[in-house]
Amino acid sequence: MTTNFRELLQTLVTGNVEFIIVGGVAATAHGSARLTEDLDIVYRRRPENVARLVAALLPYDPYLRGAPPGLPFKWDQRTISNGLNFTLITALGAIDFLGEITGGGNYDDLLPHAIELQVFGLNCLCLGLERLIHVKRAAGRPKDFEAIAELEAILEERRQKP
Amino acid sequence: MKDHDATLEPDPVIEAYKKDVDRTLIRENLRLSVEERFEKLMQLQEFAEELRRAGQQARQP
Repeated sequence: MTTNFRELLQTLVTGNVEFIIVGGVAATAHGSARLTEDLDIVYRRRPENVARLVAALLPYDPYLRGAPPGLPFKWDQRTISNGLNFTLITALGAIDFLGEITGGGNYDDLLPHAIELQVFGLNCLCLGLERLIHVKRAAGRPKDFEAIAELEAILEERRQKP
Repeated sequence: MKDHDATLEPDPVIEAYKKDVDRTLIRENLRLSVEERFEKLMQLQEFAEELRRAGQQARQP
């Protein structure tokens, strides 16, 4: 199944969810040519925001991605508050809700490093390119090496532009 | 908000990978709007999905 990034972002923005786009979709926003299949976001862990997140996604049947069907997973405020990071599949596609990320921290830590994006007629926050490189480096995963190299090349290209 | 961190020190491993980055694709993407980049990603996803489907079909006896 493909992920409908437009609808997912629209759902979160119209639901007044506070979030920052990170990961591969953030890389796409900055100019990456790599394919990514899920939307990774860091959400603010305040109770009112968790409530908005739950309400926004509820109509799209969020469920643990890759888990066998029938597990007692309940998409509610308690589940989110008791956990931190959630890898989910929804009717709109794959989405990862992250309470914090390695090398970047939580929403409030990342906020000073976020940029405002206008996309699909929506205003949303996306992690800035340099911070994105920083957190991917901090994660230290060999599978990210090519992605980091591309992001650094994008940074160089941008700096060369007048 | 800022999109600016302290200068990133070059990492020798990443520098080695950087030699293989196709900068023509990056330059092409940087000419697009953010929305166009997202549209392109979704088209690429649909293409990948179609290739997976075709691959599965081809493997069936």
